Amino acid sequence: MNVEITDLIRRFGRNQAVAGVDLDVGTGVFGVLGPNGAGKTSLLRMLATVIPPSSGTLRLLGRDPRSYPQRRQIRRRLGYLPQNLGYYPGFTVAEFVEYFALLKEMPPERVPTAVAVAVERTGLGDKARAKLRTLSGGMLRRAGIAQAIVNEPELLLLDEPTAGLDPEQRVAFRALLRDLGQRATVMVSTHLVEDVGAACSQVALMNQGKIVFCGTPDELTAQAEGTDAEGDAPLERGYSAVLAAARTGTGAWS
Amino acid sequence: MTATAPTAPEAPARRPVPRRVTLPAPARLLRLELRRSIMPWLLPLLAVLFWLATYRPAMANPPFWNIRSGMAQSRAMLAFAPLLAGAAAWAGSRERRRGMADLVGMTALPRWAGQLAAWAATTCWAEVAYLTGVGVLFVVTARQGAWGGPLLWPVAVGAVFVAASCALGFAAGTLLPTRFTPPLAAFAMFLALAGGAFAIQENVSYAQIWPLNVQGPFPLDSYGIFYPYVSDLAIAQVMFLAGLGAAALGGLGLPAAAGGRWLRRAAAVVTAAGLAAAGTGVALAGTARLEAHGMVIPALHDAASDRPTPYTPVCSHTAVPVCLQPAYRALLPYFTAAFGPTLSQLAGLPGAPVRVTQVAVTSVRADGSNGMGFGGPVISGRPPVLYLPLAGMTLPGEGDESAAEFIATLRQQDGPWIMGILVGLPGLVAAQAGAEAGINGFVPEASSGRSAQMAVLDALIRALGLAQPAPPPNARANQGGRSAPSGASQGSASPARQELAAAKRFAALPATARHAWLMTHLVALRAGRISLSEVP
Repeated sequence: MNVEITDLIRRFGRNQAVAGVDLDVGTGVFGVLGPNGAGKTSLLRMLATVIPPSSGTLRLLGRDPRSYPQRRQIRRRLGYLPQNLGYYPGFTVAEFVEYFALLKEMPPERVPTAVAVAVERTGLGDKARAKLRTLSGGMLRRAGIAQAIVNEPELLLLDEPTAGLDPEQRVAFRALLRDLGQRATVMVSTHLVEDVGAACSQVALMNQGKIVFCGTPDELTAQAEGTDAEGDAPLERGYSAVLAAARTGTGAWS
Repeated sequence: MTATAPTAPEAPARRPVPRRVTLPAPARLLRLELRRSIMPWLLPLLAVLFWLATYRPAMANPPFWNIRSGMAQSRAMLAFAPLLAGAAAWAGSRERRRGMADLVGMTALPRWAGQLAAWAATTCWAEVAYLTGVGVLFVVTARQGAWGGPLLWPVAVGAVFVAASCALGFAAGTLLPTRFTPPLAAFAMFLALAGGAFAIQENVSYAQIWPLNVQGPFPLDSYGIFYPYVSDLAIAQVMFLAGLGAAALGGLGLPAAAGGRWLRRAAAVVTAAGLAAAGTGVALAGTARLEAHGMVIPALHDAASDRPTPYTPVCSHTAVPVCLQPAYRALLPYFTAAFGPTLSQLAGLPGAPVRVTQVAVTSVRADGSNGMGFGGPVISGRPPVLYLPLAGMTLPGEGDESAAEFIATLRQQDGPWIMGILVGLPGLVAAQAGAEAGINGFVPEASSGRSAQMAVLDALIRALGLAQPAPPPNARANQGGRSAPSGASQGSASPARQELAAAKRFAALPATARHAWLMTHLVALRAGRISLSEVP
């Protein structure tokens, strides 16, 4: 298992953003669904070693991120796309990706090739020399994905990766996710259920800091059976059903 | 018929495949940071500032290495340091301002290392700007034929100050990552420099560490020519600035997010060492004292800098030669013109100088606002020689000072002084001694025994054409200590009518008659044995 989480809690003052999460995730694309404020981003930031957990245990890629040397090893094999992607407007796409390749301590001789590959895979080959300030929101998102995958991570954490992408890009991105998921653990936090249905082999649904469902997309779809849950697509209805059950305390999944 | 096998075309020479040199990761990171630093945008502004604050004022001065080098420390840094602190604060606050903290914070490279790369890029650009400016200044100075070579210690202080300004600004920007931090950092740096100037004026001993302070109260053109540059204060300033910079940068490596245990320990050591160096620099500056040729810190002083720099003087081909240090070669005609009328009146008289020789400016204790003054001219030796230091004088080409003004000033300052010594007016000698003992404003007593001397002196000064002789000594306590005798120049507080009459009478004589009388009576006059009535 690349991600092993036991009773993970993260507090911000009195607010408990993640309230006791247990999760084991192996290779493949893993979707994290949930409404706004469910704790998805906090969970991913802990997995990205940006913030430490308040309590609970966390093992990533078989290592304990509390120890600095192990955390550093994890980070070399980690890719992360935050929800709000910051960027240096004066950097070109290639420089931006190279910058993170260097910060991830990739061997310098591998950097030029890795940068070119990452930029191509995200469809920004013709924009490699363009300054980031000149890119559209969707292209910036792709540049963010490129920096996340430049080191061919074993654990890739993507927070709302398809936000701002047009339908064509979204389809291409899902294909990329499936490709990456063959060799690595890809965790995708999103509130767009169609992304999950198209790309994820496993999905967890979070609500109020807790995981209220974990299974395959088909199993999530099945949660809607026998309920009057609303939604345009079967997966959406399953999502709504699980959330409704969680809010009423009936507990559709355990 | 023999067929010759066609010779196979020669294989084209294999072109060597250019191997791409792979830079190590820190070098690649630095290259990226250099390429995308904010500093290249500021280079034109820095160039303008350097031109306005340093190059133009430096070029308004004669081509002396000490003046140009001193300005590269004091004036350049006054203009550069606040701007650099602000720019570095902008670079330091970049991660937070751009929302990159999460993304950068989860990378394997210790955050401190990444921050140091960004600081290094900012500093490299700043150093390039500063050193290029100084280089241009020095090249122009060399082409203007300046004697000797550039003083490198002031430049070293400036270069370290550049790095320290960037470090302090960068640390401020990192610790307080807002849009307001850069202007605040720039303003704080400006205030710190202004505070240092205030502390220097208040004679706070530790304030000598002020990075714009080149050689304490020594005028820029008064050191590093006759004696080697006294580097004691510069060494303390480098320690202080390097220490401050190291402490600021080391402090960035102390938080848990900065890196691992060993790295944070290293950061703690750097911080502690930086603070210790800065503190030591301040403590050493507190022991600095003004010596004859510059600011001396006993613990750092190299005795070699007390040995005079050898040189061959350049002399005028006049009856009484005027000999200058070769750095002042261009000024020789002005000196000759300034001293000509005085020396021609005195030529051949007993005790009159047979040569004028420029000597080093030496500081003396005085009660001026900065607690010091400079030694004035002295006639000594056998045959007598006028030893002339040039302290605090506005040289031709400096500001609006013209050659004519310079000649007039020099003539007005030193002509009466030389004559005063020759006629034996003790006021001048005492004023000189008084200045050395820290007593300014000596006013000679107009006793009856001195009346003849005063009358003759007054007459000689009138003959020089100085309608308004030099102001009294206390008005120029810190401007070289040379002055005309107050009794002679202003006719004392209220000159005796007979003295004035005798002076006018003597001045009205033909120059040859005055000279002839002085030839026979000067020794007696100097000894106070001539009465007023004996003055023709």
